[in-house]
Amino acid sequence: MQAEKREARPGRWRQITLFLAVMGPGLITASVDNDAGGITTYSLAGAQFGTKLLWTLGPITVALIVVQEMSARMGVVTGKGLADLIRENFGVRTTFWVSVALIVANLANTIAEFAGVAASLQIFRIPPWISVPLVAVGVWFLVLKGSNRVVEKVFLAASLLYIAYPISLVLSKPDWGEVALAAVTPTFSGEGTYVAMLIGLVGTTIAPWMQFYQQAAVVEKRINVDQLRFTRIDVVMGCIVTDVVAFSIVMACAATLHKQGISIQTADQAALALAPLAGKYASWLFAFGLFNASLFAAAILPLSTAYFVTESFGWESGLDRKWNEARQFYWLFTGIVAVGAGVVLIPRLPLIRIMLVSQIVNGVLLPFVLIYMLRLANDEKLMGVHRNGRWFNLIAWTTTVVMIVLTGFLVVTGIRDLVSG
Amino acid sequence: MERPSGKFRFLFFTDLVGKKVVDSDGKALGRLADLVAVTGEPYPPVESLVLRSGRKLRQVPWSSVASVNGAVQLAAGAPVEPTPATPVADRIRLGLEILDRQIVDIEGAKLVRVNDLHFLETKGQLRIAHVDVGLRGLVRRMGWQRPVDGMVSLVRPRSRYLNSDTLLSWKLVQPIESAPGRVRIEATKKALASLHPADLAEIMEDLDRHQREVLFQRLDVETAADALEETSTEVATELLEAVPPEKAADILEEMAPDEAADALSELPGETREELLQAMERPEAAEVAELLEYHPRSAGGLMTPDVMELAPATTVTEVFAELRRRAEDLPVVYEVFVVEEGLLQGMVTLRDLILAADPATPLSAMLREVPASVHSDADVMDVARAASKYNLLSVPVVDSAGMLVGMVTVDDILAEVVGAG
Repeated sequence: MQAEKREARPGRWRQITLFLAVMGPGLITASVDNDAGGITTYSLAGAQFGTKLLWTLGPITVALIVVQEMSARMGVVTGKGLADLIRENFGVRTTFWVSVALIVANLANTIAEFAGVAASLQIFRIPPWISVPLVAVGVWFLVLKGSNRVVEKVFLAASLLYIAYPISLVLSKPDWGEVALAAVTPTFSGEGTYVAMLIGLVGTTIAPWMQFYQQAAVVEKRINVDQLRFTRIDVVMGCIVTDVVAFSIVMACAATLHKQGISIQTADQAALALAPLAGKYASWLFAFGLFNASLFAAAILPLSTAYFVTESFGWESGLDRKWNEARQFYWLFTGIVAVGAGVVLIPRLPLIRIMLVSQIVNGVLLPFVLIYMLRLANDEKLMGVHRNGRWFNLIAWTTTVVMIVLTGFLVVTGIRDLVSG
Repeated sequence: MERPSGKFRFLFFTDLVGKKVVDSDGKALGRLADLVAVTGEPYPPVESLVLRSGRKLRQVPWSSVASVNGAVQLAAGAPVEPTPATPVADRIRLGLEILDRQIVDIEGAKLVRVNDLHFLETKGQLRIAHVDVGLRGLVRRMGWQRPVDGMVSLVRPRSRYLNSDTLLSWKLVQPIESAPGRVRIEATKKALASLHPADLAEIMEDLDRHQREVLFQRLDVETAADALEETSTEVATELLEAVPPEKAADILEEMAPDEAADALSELPGETREELLQAMERPEAAEVAELLEYHPRSAGGLMTPDVMELAPATTVTEVFAELRRRAEDLPVVYEVFVVEEGLLQGMVTLRDLILAADPATPLSAMLREVPASVHSDADVMDVARAASKYNLLSVPVVDSAGMLVGMVTVDDILAEVVGAG
């Protein structure tokens, strides 16, 4: 690899190697986006509403790209993580409350991931009290004892397994003409459950941890301004891949469960429900995909939370530090993994309710993060010529306002559901 | 905090910022938004305060401050002027440029984040004494010092938290991102040069790109070269591109040729050529030769700076040669004996020290070289040879058996451990 770099090569090859060198942050972030909460939501959306919600995935993708591009650009131009930028530009109080919210949101998400682990392995007849502690310890060791590069490679390889979803879709033999039509035909419905599901889709796809994580990954990769366009390709590709997977899940459930009138409560039921229709393998693939997604996110969320919090408060952080040198960092990581796994083990816990709560917390935090991001991305001293353009701002602010309105709904309906639940 | 104990008292930035600023008649002018300090002195005095009213920022000299208690009271006729539009040399806006930023803790040799600033108020002057990088500073910024102190003293009255603020003397820290003047640059250079190159390299790795470049530009050529040898190749490459080509060339000349070649190898072709052109001829030739090898091969890791001597050389002459070349030699333990370029054998430093007669020629104590590697050999083969035969430097030969350089154990370790 390195030896090849030394030779002058014709333009196209050079472009491709340059792209390969910066590739990663966007794709990894987008892959983690389809986590246990995501899969559950997409499955429910497909099973309950068939193809009625498919059209929303287009606009959601555009919004996701706008938000993620902004985070990547800030990382490339400033060379700082989002947590650093917030601390340096908005001070300790803002940082503190953002950190608290981020810890709570990511803890809730981590609980959802372990719920996903439990659910997927139950399909292979492994009870939660065995699978969850084992996976928790496994995640802990993988992240803390594995070398950074190995961990990243494992994650990248794991994200290739998302092909399980499109395969699952193909195996369920949908009517492709109907799929294409539904994807471009907006349908509205004033029904409360429809609106709630729409908000759930948005909330699960554009989660606040993604901006923090991706920006940190871009910084860590030391991508410089000349490579910005390659990073943009990485981000856009990641977002599209994510939403293709989301699309496959919604579609697979619509083509089977919805048609048969089977209603589902959880992602693992969705997998079981697929079994008679597409054979034993659809169920296995679904379970395998869910396990992979949950594991992947269960490793990344606690780690990234530990990074953001310690960095913004100026505590030592990083896996290359010893435990005693970076106590806050290691305790945060360990604590989130332990609590995340521990909560799932409480008997008779309403796991679906917890996944819902995690999405509400995400939803509450997101508009704040977006507003801070927009203020930073428009700061001329920080971003110079790479600050947001007028049109970009228009799209980004529209996205933010729509998100505020939607998450406002999400919070209200979420709280209502919790109370009436 | 408000205890005026005769001649002096300590104040925190957090205590001052947000205070009402009133003129001599007690009329409110705005709130204190920031302080401007003149750097260059060990404990820089605050020159003026920045006050905010609505969106407008204005500046008042600190010498016109009559008293600081509940509010900041200005003396009669205090000049209130608009803040300068561009940064002024040797002036720092403390809130903007120091607070919440990362700075270098010279004593601890690491990066820290500033939670608060600690001032000494004496004879109408306000001077920066310390930066607060501790937990209590964070709590103070949150405005929770009183309740938290109360709770801690209730639970653990003798907790270290209560009376040991983590304060670092201003003299021992280096801010990175302020517009410095000549005095500051000199002081910074000296302070940074006092750090161990490995610590400096680690600090640079932890900084963001912009800060790293600023810091690097303030290093003198020697310190820069030492630090670059310790950083990862990516960072070294990035920094060489950030300084003017002449300075980059000077730094590369100062670096060990193998490290310089590593740093150059990742640069785009044109930049690399330009830098090689700008370097002094002999150094450039050495580096260019190393660039031909694969970076993870013995050739890519080796240094051409080897003690290679003829068999007739006496012990005295060897020591003289060692002293003469001490500057550019890396680890010296094995001295290689060559005849017409061909590797004949080696003599260890131990042999030389223990030699009874300083007139003994090398040929008389020649040892067989237990292992040499070809310049194409993989780093793992080099590591195995070093480990098996306890070599501190492994000689590298070309296909004809001519000695072309050696790989020293530090470079092998860096490559194997992956911290290079």
